[in-house]
Amino acid sequence: MPRNRSVGHLLTRAFGAVVGLIVATGGAEATALTLQHRVVKQLSEYVQPLELANAELRTTLGDAQRGLRGYLLTGDGQLLDSYYAARTAYEQSGRELSDLAHSDERVSVDEQLDRADEWWRLAEQQRLAPPRSAAAAAYVNQGKPLFQAFQAENEKLDASLATRAADLQRRSSRLSEVTVAVVVALTVLAAVVALGAAGLTARRITRPLARVGAVIGRRRAGELEARADPERGPTEIRAVALAINEMAEEHERIRRAEDDIARLRGEVRALGYRIRAHLKVEDAVREAIEGAAATVGADHVLLRLAPGQTDVPAVVSLRDEHAGGVLAGLTESDVTWLRTGDVWTSGDPGPAAETGALAAFPGPVLTVAVSGGEELLGALTLIRDAGAAWNPVEVRLTEVIANDLGRAVHLARLYEREQQLVARLRDLDTAKTDFMSTVSHELRTPLTSIAGYVELLLDAEAGELDPPQRKMLDVIARNTRRLRELIEDMLTLSKIESGSFRTARSPVDLVALTDHALAAVAPAAAKAGVTLCREVDAALELTADNEQLDRVLMNLLSNAVKFTPSGGTVTVSARREGDEVHLAVADTGMGIPPTEQQQLFARFFRASNAIHQAIPGTGLGLAIVRTIVDNHHGRIAVDSAEGEGTTVRIELPLR
Amino acid sequence: MTVVLVADDDADIRDLVAFKLEQAGLEVVSVEDGQAALEQARLRRPTLAVLDVSMPGLSGIDVCRMLRADPATAGILVIMLTARVQEQDVEGGFSAGADDYVTKPFSPRELVSRIQALLTRARA
Repeated sequence: MPRNRSVGHLLTRAFGAVVGLIVATGGAEATALTLQHRVVKQLSEYVQPLELANAELRTTLGDAQRGLRGYLLTGDGQLLDSYYAARTAYEQSGRELSDLAHSDERVSVDEQLDRADEWWRLAEQQRLAPPRSAAAAAYVNQGKPLFQAFQAENEKLDASLATRAADLQRRSSRLSEVTVAVVVALTVLAAVVALGAAGLTARRITRPLARVGAVIGRRRAGELEARADPERGPTEIRAVALAINEMAEEHERIRRAEDDIARLRGEVRALGYRIRAHLKVEDAVREAIEGAAATVGADHVLLRLAPGQTDVPAVVSLRDEHAGGVLAGLTESDVTWLRTGDVWTSGDPGPAAETGALAAFPGPVLTVAVSGGEELLGALTLIRDAGAAWNPVEVRLTEVIANDLGRAVHLARLYEREQQLVARLRDLDTAKTDFMSTVSHELRTPLTSIAGYVELLLDAEAGELDPPQRKMLDVIARNTRRLRELIEDMLTLSKIESGSFRTARSPVDLVALTDHALAAVAPAAAKAGVTLCREVDAALELTADNEQLDRVLMNLLSNAVKFTPSGGTVTVSARREGDEVHLAVADTGMGIPPTEQQQLFARFFRASNAIHQAIPGTGLGLAIVRTIVDNHHGRIAVDSAEGEGTTVRIELPLR
Repeated sequence: MTVVLVADDDADIRDLVAFKLEQAGLEVVSVEDGQAALEQARLRRPTLAVLDVSMPGLSGIDVCRMLRADPATAGILVIMLTARVQEQDVEGGFSAGADDYVTKPFSPRELVSRIQALLTRARA
């Protein structure tokens, strides 16, 4: 059995000892006082009065003896009077002494009084004798031994009383000394016990208390695993240590629970991201159902969708079967009784279909409305086969999941609609491109025949031609070529606009490209008597679509050559300006009337002076150029004066 | 005599090409679809075939690929006639193993000169 190390117990024992010692001291003192009192009482009430009475008797008898003897020897009556006075006083003092005396002194007093009475009897005879007679003198001598016998008894009593008084005084004195010694000893002992108990208590409380205090300090400093030692120190401190440890465990438990909640919140947040990342309603629903089962913890999860909301099935569940039969019952229940933000747990009042399905089911069921905006999309139901009701944290987390799911479904539906729209637009665009492609192909086939047979005829494969025939065939050939260019440009424009050219972006060597374009138009320029000039930086590279840029240069250069009369000049310049490339094609040609410069980039637009001078063209070249420049986020401007020339400037970003 | 196979579903173009090639002194076998082109290629073993890309049934590209797959016809030179200028068509033609291509509308003169160039190169 463990030793009782309670401080209270120790203190009780120490105080008990001290109190006992104090009581003992008091008792000793009281006893001593009583004894002292008895001694003093004996002295003052017995010994001393007896001494006094004894002395008075001696005096009285002395007076009587002296008076009688004097009278007998002198015959002085006065002396006889003093004898009589003494005889009267003796009656008094003798009785007094007799009354006072008892025990040891009684015998002595009786003896003394007997002697006195013997003397008195003789004295009464003497008194009658005639004074100054021989008889009187004989009497005096006869009375002397009797008086001496009395005197001896009297002195013996006096001595005995003196001895007794001294003895009493000695006893009193010794009693005092013993009392003082005992009281001092007891007091010192009490003090020692009290001090010892105080010291021991202090040591047995303060040290363990300091240890417990240190543990509290460490815990406060963040050392949460610090625990007090409940095996050391007195019972009270052990109880405190135990209480502190219990509090620490409780705190730890609460902290772990909070950590769990925080972790769950994190998981649910992550789940929310995953749910919302899905662009298909079905995928989002599947993610939410599996996630809710895993994070919140449910044996079964069921999502019922409000009618007419999505094209996914009306009921989606984690598993197909539920042993409790709840699933089958719930799927029959329409969820439109729920309102946005509603939370329903088994036991709450609800529609008969819902409560009926759950009537005999023991586990907790939680149903949360799933909403997109204000609109009810469906209901998310979590089922546990057994266990306690849903706690507020689980309900809250389920609400968060339902909320994320609602948003995801809402967004997915928007996305799906948008996708459908995009797909329709893409289909339209593809149809348009296909149409353009088909049309151009269908046009090219007959054009091939026309151009081919005209060529055969012009090559005199079918016999020699006379000049009017040749002239007519030239017209057919020219218009065939024009038709062909028109088809090419239309197809090109259609493709550029539909974006199918936008893909090829790569570093383009503009110097090489310019040289290539110049070389391509060189024969036409030479034929038209136009001088080509080149003002291009030594090295110039930019990120662009090579083929499109080539088309821009070709269109601009061939235009410039086409509209510049013999003897004129076409200048192409390209240079770097900051993070842009500035490209310009300038000619000294016929120019464009100022009123028409605005329409220059419109499709099929042709300047009036070009039409007037029957210069062939489709009116699509600059429209193509502008579209390409736009595709490259560049700018295009035309500077022209009629009859003096035209300059087309293009500014393209380097990348 | 060098035999050239011409396959095009358009009779006018077929006749135009055939006329021009015969003028150039070549023997021409004309067919109007891909299936016939394959059959004639196996039967007549032409030196060169002019194949229109877009024909009903087997396209020119299909025919070209099949010619190349058969060791008996793998050596036939192929020129594709294409109505499209889109790059993927050209790439499709070359990956199928065509030796050259000509875009419609083409000049018959130019076609013949390209054919003769190919034949000369093949003979050398």
